[in-house]
Amino acid sequence: MNTEQQKPLIEVKHLGKVFTRGKYEKEEVLSDINVNFYEGDVAFIVGPSGAGKSTFLRCLNRLERATEGEIYFEGVNILDDKVDIDKHRQKMGMVFQQFNLFPHLSVMGNLTIGPMKLQGISEEEARERAIKLLRRVKLEERADSYPNQLSGGQKQRIAIARSLCMEPDVMLFDEPTSALDPEMVGEVLEVMRELAEDKMTMIVVTHEMAFAREVANRILFMADKQILEENDPVNFFENPKNERLKAFLEKMI
Amino acid sequence: MSLKENLYLNFIKDDRYMYLLSGLKNTLLITIVAVVVGILLGFLLAYIRTTHDRTGKWKIANLIAQLYITVIRGTPMVLQLLIVYFVIFASVNVPKILVAFIAFGLNSGAYVAEIIRAGIMSIDKGQFEAGFSLGFSYTQTMLYFILPQAIKNVLPALGNEMIVLLKETSVAGYIAMDDLTRGADIIRSQTYSAFMPLLMAAAIYLFFVMIFDSLVKKLERNLKSSEH
Repeated sequence: MNTEQQKPLIEVKHLGKVFTRGKYEKEEVLSDINVNFYEGDVAFIVGPSGAGKSTFLRCLNRLERATEGEIYFEGVNILDDKVDIDKHRQKMGMVFQQFNLFPHLSVMGNLTIGPMKLQGISEEEARERAIKLLRRVKLEERADSYPNQLSGGQKQRIAIARSLCMEPDVMLFDEPTSALDPEMVGEVLEVMRELAEDKMTMIVVTHEMAFAREVANRILFMADKQILEENDPVNFFENPKNERLKAFLEKMI
Repeated sequence: MSLKENLYLNFIKDDRYMYLLSGLKNTLLITIVAVVVGILLGFLLAYIRTTHDRTGKWKIANLIAQLYITVIRGTPMVLQLLIVYFVIFASVNVPKILVAFIAFGLNSGAYVAEIIRAGIMSIDKGQFEAGFSLGFSYTQTMLYFILPQAIKNVLPALGNEMIVLLKETSVAGYIAMDDLTRGADIIRSQTYSAFMPLLMAAAIYLFFVMIFDSLVKKLERNLKSSEH
């Protein structure tokens, strides 16, 4: 999949992030991260809490502003001030831990408002697109429901459909199952699995190790503000090299 | 004097009820225009303040907005009215009602701004991020996602501001504006009986406050039901 000749979809170069609190307090959370993501990648990012996984993911669509380095998305450095980030974000879907559905809009409204307002397509066309996606996440019958009438698992499936409705080139998942009751995790993972099978490019921050092993084509281990190891799922779990990763995997089992 | 005679003297004789009627017209007109001006100005100020708080941009505009809100909320309405009339428009001949529109509108704007700002700040950060992540700009996110929720949350407070404003316009008499309160007072000065005209004016205020109140409640219910 990620042959050397292929141009990366996302190219991260020397990425760094320092949080500044007040005047004097500074905290470095990401340090000199270099990594490429290719079309069709299903890349999982795992690691201990506080390693900067979510911050890294949020830097990729500039929800968090990196303080150093470059991120090339489809060839454009999106950290450049002159870049119209809104345009690029349309091509990068994001799924949040807390779903963040719009409570004042129906499920259909949540899905169609993006395509209608940002891509200028007709309501009819947007609804068609939305219904296809609702079918895909098996929530077709909830089109007219409001978010507060849905379970957590349903909310997250709608949130995924909402992002897909923009027809993005890559999907970012920020701990999509962490806020869910255990019995609802499965339905969300199922949708993600199907998405991966359909060759959607995905970057996923998660604690679901078994799922990562099963679905990912690459797993990245983040700790101490950096990506310490990267491998295919089998070698990642069978032959870890980094000491931190070995310790992390042992704790997981 | 019987009740009937009393009513006749205060309201019917010489068409005195007209003082109340034309006064009421002015009171309502000032209230409505001031509410509109106040909401427009309030939105603008709240937008500046929250944009600054959320993004750190617009430092100077925020400072001006903050100063404006502090001054307006920190000084009496009557004084603001007198200043607009006798200081700002001292050398220009402007209709008094226009002065009232401006003074009450400017005053209301400061209060509305704080109400709307509180509403915007009450919306979870995740709603902004959801809007941004889809590709909406800050302004679009505000317009489509944040403000509709924020306004719904602060609707009772906005309704309350409208009621306060309606009663507050009673100080318009300070610039010899013929509003409801002044109308009642003129009748009192002609008939030398205070009870009837003043209580009638109070009843009229109360009546309109109750109408406003029920309208706001109805609107609230409608907005709430649209969520289910």
